[in-house]
Amino acid sequence: MRALHELSMTEAADAVARGEVTATALTEGCLARIAAHDGKVNSVIRLDRDSALEQAAAVDAARKAGKPLGPLGGVPMMHKDMYYRAGKVTTCGSKIRRDFVPKVTATVLEKLDAAGAIDMGTLNMAEFAQNPTGHNAHFGHCHNPWQHGYCTGGSSSGSGAGIAARFFYGALGSDTGGSIRLPATICGVTGIKGTQTRVSRAGVMPLSFSADNVGPLVQTARDAARFMRIISGHDPRDATSAREAVPDYEAALTGDLRGISVAVPQEYFFDGADDVVVKAFDAALEAMRDRGATITRLSCPSLRAIAAYTAMISRAEGAAIHAEWMRERAADYSIHLSSRLYGGYPIPAHLYIEALSRRGPLLRQFCAEAMTGHHIVATPALRTRVPTLAETDIDADAANWSRFMAVSANTRPFNYLGLPTISVPCGFDDRGLPIGLQLAARPFAEARVLAVADAFQRVTDWHKRHPAL
Amino acid sequence: MKPDPLPPSMESIRLWSGVECPNEAARLGLADHLGLLKELAALRGTLVFEDEPSSFESALRAEQEKES
Repeated sequence: MRALHELSMTEAADAVARGEVTATALTEGCLARIAAHDGKVNSVIRLDRDSALEQAAAVDAARKAGKPLGPLGGVPMMHKDMYYRAGKVTTCGSKIRRDFVPKVTATVLEKLDAAGAIDMGTLNMAEFAQNPTGHNAHFGHCHNPWQHGYCTGGSSSGSGAGIAARFFYGALGSDTGGSIRLPATICGVTGIKGTQTRVSRAGVMPLSFSADNVGPLVQTARDAARFMRIISGHDPRDATSAREAVPDYEAALTGDLRGISVAVPQEYFFDGADDVVVKAFDAALEAMRDRGATITRLSCPSLRAIAAYTAMISRAEGAAIHAEWMRERAADYSIHLSSRLYGGYPIPAHLYIEALSRRGPLLRQFCAEAMTGHHIVATPALRTRVPTLAETDIDADAANWSRFMAVSANTRPFNYLGLPTISVPCGFDDRGLPIGLQLAARPFAEARVLAVADAFQRVTDWHKRHPAL
Repeated sequence: MKPDPLPPSMESIRLWSGVECPNEAARLGLADHLGLLKELAALRGTLVFEDEPSSFESALRAEQEKES
């Protein structure tokens, strides 16, 4: 067997189920890697060492007794520190909630518990999930495991960095403008957000009621398929969650791309793109073509409107959610966050409502333009090479504002559209930092994006590489 | 010379929300809105009288993949 930290989430779960490795051995391995290397990555906020070992021992005892294990039985995980667990501090990466103890447990955590996953603790994140870079003035910036001093992507910074560093096998992130897909891209791992309303948000810190999504960061598309099946589905505690049936996503992973048509919009997503990113993206398209897919470059005029409206909704909703603290405790936010929140207040109500009202029609228009006869829309997940923490640090220099905001340009439109979207690694730049391929499909076609991503990963090995720590 | 739109915006925020400009970055971020305003101005006339926010959920259901 390979080294334990090289196993994917599904490989680790299946190895425990077969008795080839114990949950205790997996957990001890994760704890040892975190102890050895997280000093320079800074992905962890709270490590529940004793609890993790107790959970692992319980899984091993259950297996020994012949009891069935769940589909994630014995797999160590950690999650972005915004998922409430009753009685445990949930900081939301903030000073304001540094001592917040929720009274409820998030539905997604309950589902992962029921699937047998081991919860080892909580992960660093952007303050209140509000930046795309991984900066955190209160808990320290999270550093890219591939190169110290570079962004991890945010807001699920610890989730992306920790998976890349092989500190654990799966992690929850959240995605309102790219906060799963960006750290997945920038850290060289796999991350998916489902269709808007696909996964329950009960017991999850809100950022934007209309655009928040819960989803996983993992090594492989197969991992994401298993993870998504467990956490997806209607939840009586979240009235907004969808009632559509959740298929067996893993069963859809055939590796076959014959008959799959991939559309590549020519507007917007390539504005100011770096050559090295475009080259890696084109090579990824070729890999899919070799596997049987057809590639069509097309025009998608609705994107300009989508991009403009995207910015309105999360800004206005974030401003409303944080209004009391912005009045009373503005100095307790980092500079970059209070400055972003402030930008939400001048948005007039009629424009916010216009942005919401145009969402349905623009979704229909986008599907007509990009998905008529096509199954998948492909774009680079990040237009540029990975920036450094310094050159996107607004707290240090307000002039970094535009570089900071540009990081999420390619991911935000899919939050407005509410489409299932995945990011998978598709190369490295000239400095050895990852590049990501973004794949989207029609609403509730998570199985489609997962199947295409899995087929891509069967003929590439970008997702198997991990940094030397 | 065109008047600076930032002071009236900041006064409006203070009036309607009771929130003060917290720092220079916030001021710069507000200035960044001018680009967004141009983009939004270009979209005027696209909202249809009957459009309303709940159409998004129905569009999600309607735009699913059809069985081939």
